[in-house]
Amino acid sequence: MKLSSKLILFITSSKLVVVLLFIVSLPFLVDGIVSEYTNYSLRRQQDKVIQIVQKKGIEHYLQGEDSYGSYTMLKEEYIALEPAIKGLPIDTIKTAQRVVEQDTLNYRILMHTFNFQQKPYLLEIGKTISSINQYNKPLQRIALYVLMGLIAITLLFDLLFTRILIRPLGKIIKSKLTNRKFPFKDRFIPVETSTYDFKYLDESLILLMEQINEAFEKEREFTANASHELMTPISILQNKMENLIGDEQLSDSVVIRIVEMMKTLDRLKKISNSLLLISRIENEQFVKSDTLKPAELLNEVVEEISHRLEEKELHIKLKLNPNLFLNGVNRDLLFQLFYNLINNAIKYNVNKGSIIITDQLSNSGYLIAIADTGIGIAAEEQAFIFDRFRKTNLNKNVGYGLGLSIVKSICLYHGITIKVNSEVNVGSTFSLLFPAGIYTESM
Amino acid sequence: MKVLIVEDEKTLAYEMEDFLKKAFYVCDLAHNIKDGLEKMEMNSYDFILLDLGLPDGDGLTLLPKAKKHNPDAAYIILTARGNLEDRITGLDLGADDYLAKPFSLLELQSRMQAIARRKFNVKEELLPLGDFKLDLQKRLVLFGDNQIELSRKEFDLLSYLFLHNNRVLTRMQLSEHIWGTFADDDYDSNYIDAHIKNIRKKLNTWAPADFIETVRGVGYRIKK
Repeated sequence: MKLSSKLILFITSSKLVVVLLFIVSLPFLVDGIVSEYTNYSLRRQQDKVIQIVQKKGIEHYLQGEDSYGSYTMLKEEYIALEPAIKGLPIDTIKTAQRVVEQDTLNYRILMHTFNFQQKPYLLEIGKTISSINQYNKPLQRIALYVLMGLIAITLLFDLLFTRILIRPLGKIIKSKLTNRKFPFKDRFIPVETSTYDFKYLDESLILLMEQINEAFEKEREFTANASHELMTPISILQNKMENLIGDEQLSDSVVIRIVEMMKTLDRLKKISNSLLLISRIENEQFVKSDTLKPAELLNEVVEEISHRLEEKELHIKLKLNPNLFLNGVNRDLLFQLFYNLINNAIKYNVNKGSIIITDQLSNSGYLIAIADTGIGIAAEEQAFIFDRFRKTNLNKNVGYGLGLSIVKSICLYHGITIKVNSEVNVGSTFSLLFPAGIYTESM
Repeated sequence: MKVLIVEDEKTLAYEMEDFLKKAFYVCDLAHNIKDGLEKMEMNSYDFILLDLGLPDGDGLTLLPKAKKHNPDAAYIILTARGNLEDRITGLDLGADDYLAKPFSLLELQSRMQAIARRKFNVKEELLPLGDFKLDLQKRLVLFGDNQIELSRKEFDLLSYLFLHNNRVLTRMQLSEHIWGTFADDDYDSNYIDAHIKNIRKKLNTWAPADFIETVRGVGYRIKK
């Protein structure tokens, strides 16, 4: 999961938890607030009554009667005033039932005793619970709406902010990690950010890439030097033997031994050359600027190799689109690629067998298939045939395991996908899929 | 012909000298750039064989200076670096050929002769080979006025053997000359034998080709 998605998910879920908590606690909160408010307004009313009594005397309410009672039409509120028992001061607010005109109702009741002209009176102010609670629901709803709105707005800001915040990370990934083809040729441009962590990451990546480049350069240098160091002694030996073999005083048996030595040296030379070729391909030391027709190239390869075909009396059939061009390739490398594949197809073929080379244009690309009727490759070995120095068939005619490694690196260098399909004692088919952009078809 | 070999690896230089002397070249040796330039100032050469990795610098830097002293010489770059840029730079700077180490001395001589034909306009007469005549320029084998049809590879083989006459060439050396880097490593294969058989057959229809000798266990030789 991407960091931005994770952040947004986290923010959203944490807000959801807050909302849930709030929804759960909202009734209690509202209840609390409402009862606080009720108590407060009851007290205010009490103060008012006492003020009036102070001002206008108790008669203003009692008007000669023993007690005073008054309630609103729907019995939502009432006030009662009556003489109280002496020496028993009451000052409470509680919820209790009262019977008003045969109706038993739940009230929030303030009871307060006070003295007026040395006489104690009891004041009762009540409010029905239902009238108190009538605002709870709308209040809750409004609170909820406001909350939702606020959360939506903050969420929007969060999304915007996280996007801005992690934008440098995206830039780092884009400029340093994706689409970077080794070796890194262009210069490294630091991503601008005020976030220390990103800056650190970016700088570390640049440092790392510079180190890789340096190591790569060193390896290149090493390859060049190693080749020089290796080729010079081989050169000396080869030339010495060549001069030696030209000496007419040598006996036949000595000459034959020198010939054997020359063969061994030649093997060493071929191995070194192949390794160097692979490393040069991997170092991208070949220019890919040739345009060629695979049909023509393969004909040339077949001509070059025809003596081997004749020796085994193999039948070769080329059926390739004559109007197809490959662009931006290296001709020498592709020659080598096809040479190695056809050479293998010959080497591992049975006498009087056949090799069929066909092509095919499809949506996925241009495909060239080289099929032989040879000894085949066991399924468990197919994965390793492109590895260096891995001998698959322990046949005495087998080379030194670098032919297919060269093939693989040439394919990789050109973006060609190579696949092998093989069945033991039936044959092998190597298919090369050329990506779009590397080929064009002309009429 | 006079040859200057600029090669810091002394053993290698001596081997080249040894080989070229037998082919009637006169050789001078230099083991570094300074030495090489001095020799070029004093003498004029037909061939300058130039190694690239010299102790006092890159052989490529020597090339333009050398061309001033010896503008008519043929330059062959010999290098173990074998990368493409060197090859291109070398040829751009006016080298006539390029041989990657390790190379065969036979190949070196063959290249030198090809350059001589091309560059010095050495008009070789038809070269006698038994009752036949060889035209290396037109790549023909003639019997009297009759042209003998040899394939490209067959002619290459015959002329290579001819160039190095009296010397036994191994099958490996022959196949390396014909197929270059694509020469296979199955040394016991008989591709060369098949080609020689064909050449003999084609020549024998006109006159005996007994100048091509088989040297058992080694290879072939043209005896003159």
